[in-house]
Amino acid sequence: MARPIVVAFDVMGSDHGPAEVVRGAAQLSLEAPHIHALLVGDRAVIDEALAETRHSGERIAVHHAPDAVGMDEKPADALKRKPGASVLVAAGLVASGEADAVVSAGSTGAGVLACARTFELIPGVRRAALASVYPTRRLHGQKEDPFSLILDVGATVEATAEDLVAFAVMGSAYARIISKNTNPSVALLSNGTEAQKGPPRVVEAHQRLASLPKVRFVGNVEGVDIPKGTADVVVCDGFVGNVCLKMLEGVQETVVELATYAYKEKLRWRAGMAMLSSGIQRLKDVTDWEQYGGAPILGFDRIFIKAHGRSRAGAIANAGKVAAKSVAHDLGRAIRENLT
Amino acid sequence: MPLLDRIDPPPPRRIYRWDLDKTYLRTEFDTLRQLVRTALQKAHEKVSVPGAPALIRELGAHGDSRLCIISGSPRQMRSVLEEKLKLDGIAFDELVLKDNVSNLLRGRFRALRGQVGYKLPALLESRGRVPTDAEEVLFGDDAEADAFIYSLYADMVAGRVDERILLRVLDAAEVYADERARILAAWKTLPTADPVRRIFIHLDRLTPPAYFTRYGPRVVPIFNYFQASLVLMADGMLTAPQVLRVAGEMVQAGVHNLFTLSNSLQDLMRRGLPLEQVAESLVEAMQGPHQLANALRPVPDIVAAFSRRLASLGTNPPPPRATAVDYVALIDDARPRTHKSRRPPG
Repeated sequence: MARPIVVAFDVMGSDHGPAEVVRGAAQLSLEAPHIHALLVGDRAVIDEALAETRHSGERIAVHHAPDAVGMDEKPADALKRKPGASVLVAAGLVASGEADAVVSAGSTGAGVLACARTFELIPGVRRAALASVYPTRRLHGQKEDPFSLILDVGATVEATAEDLVAFAVMGSAYARIISKNTNPSVALLSNGTEAQKGPPRVVEAHQRLASLPKVRFVGNVEGVDIPKGTADVVVCDGFVGNVCLKMLEGVQETVVELATYAYKEKLRWRAGMAMLSSGIQRLKDVTDWEQYGGAPILGFDRIFIKAHGRSRAGAIANAGKVAAKSVAHDLGRAIRENLT
Repeated sequence: MPLLDRIDPPPPRRIYRWDLDKTYLRTEFDTLRQLVRTALQKAHEKVSVPGAPALIRELGAHGDSRLCIISGSPRQMRSVLEEKLKLDGIAFDELVLKDNVSNLLRGRFRALRGQVGYKLPALLESRGRVPTDAEEVLFGDDAEADAFIYSLYADMVAGRVDERILLRVLDAAEVYADERARILAAWKTLPTADPVRRIFIHLDRLTPPAYFTRYGPRVVPIFNYFQASLVLMADGMLTAPQVLRVAGEMVQAGVHNLFTLSNSLQDLMRRGLPLEQVAESLVEAMQGPHQLANALRPVPDIVAAFSRRLASLGTNPPPPRATAVDYVALIDDARPRTHKSRRPPG
């Protein structure tokens, strides 16, 4: 029997409480025999939730961590005060080789800091990037994912040209492995498609990427191209990426609110909505972010998957699968090879 | 065994009672196709649950026990089942199978699926054939009503069940009148004793372990037979080398490794079973001069894996408290799994 891939779950971070992460890991233990879950957090809380949940006890272990980082805490201060914080302990277990990857639905800042304190940056990478997936009109890769990858969305607020090139390489490697996209297209986010558009760091990054043979660079894209899915991987700095992502989420929520309003307001509108309901549901199904589990913090020699804070059990299980897939395909090595 | 003992064997000190399907054998009969396939399987095609044959052999190694099997399989499968047990090196003392043809011909359709009316009289009658002081360990699964029936049996023999409660249970389980008469007759002839030490429930359906807390700490839900071996070692019924032999068979079966075994140990400890001493003894046995853990090599990795799982736990919870089982509250568990009133656990 081959050695299983062990994924450490930071149990204490989810908006829905520790039990939801435990249920996600339990679901994973039933669906993926080659993945083992190491639940890191308050042992009593984990045990109580696990005992009530259908799971395979042979594929789950618990590692007690006495502290947790709250969403309202400053990550740096919290990690300094709480060396036993679950996210830090989980990362430590990966660094020591007891686990192969971390999944956390907790504070993004704490996750990035835990990585920085515990893991090593891949040679050639100066700064880490947080990636995220966003639903698009065009399908991507062999799996026909209706998502494209955007990075960075918050780990590195000010990125240099060199950082943007590294992000492009990392995003390309991730899309190749996770979306089974053999030759993903990579674009820089700018205020125009021309090579000379954008701030100096973007113009310089464009020049460098254009001459980089291992990345299929397709030039610049504009904000409007993100939901269209013009490129498989969109690269930007953390400040721009975070603003874009939050705006896109806001637009999506507003559309849903408007639809709800329309449904309640007039009988004719309600009838129209009812007629469209199967189409809307289909759209919802294909763009369901929960199926994609989480997004990676890229640039470190170990795998860290950041799940959405609102992730339910299914999304947590999928995040575990994404983590295991990244480990199985040696994402770190793929990035390293493309950078040299 | 000495010649004298073979001619006139000593009375058994322990009785090990086993179910077969989903407890000893990996059986699927949730659909008609699976049922037919199971019925047509030859002995060598049947697959035992990893570790179960080794555990039975080790439990019988002292020569002072009896192996009694009560299975819901039809009597027509006797020769196949006997051959399978023989292939696994298992010598049994009793093999009770269900007379489903008779039930069918007599139109007793409830008896085809019902477990209480079949297993309870069989257990009580078998108990009548063993010495009063013989201890018992029972092995069942979570597919039907084993936890309920075994617990009820244990408490009936121990005199902890009121007849009115029993009759309510038999009503709820829709037990036929003749089966009811057998149960009452067998029960009333038994001397009061408290012989049942443990009831192991193999989690074939992966029912959440907490579901069984209502049956008290005597019932131990297990994911595999390494877990049963650990508990039996803590109870003084197995030694460390014997547990390692069970683990060895499970690893050789190809479905277990260091990770699954160390996780299994930790799982029991998290449920409050006091196994620290057992873990230490296992580590000592592995490091001993005879290197008993040949099948589990390399020894340092095993020791490290087990130690890590123990060290990562922090403070262990207290052992679960023994409480009286409320059979009336659990009455739905006595009904067949397909019965509409039976709540799906988990």
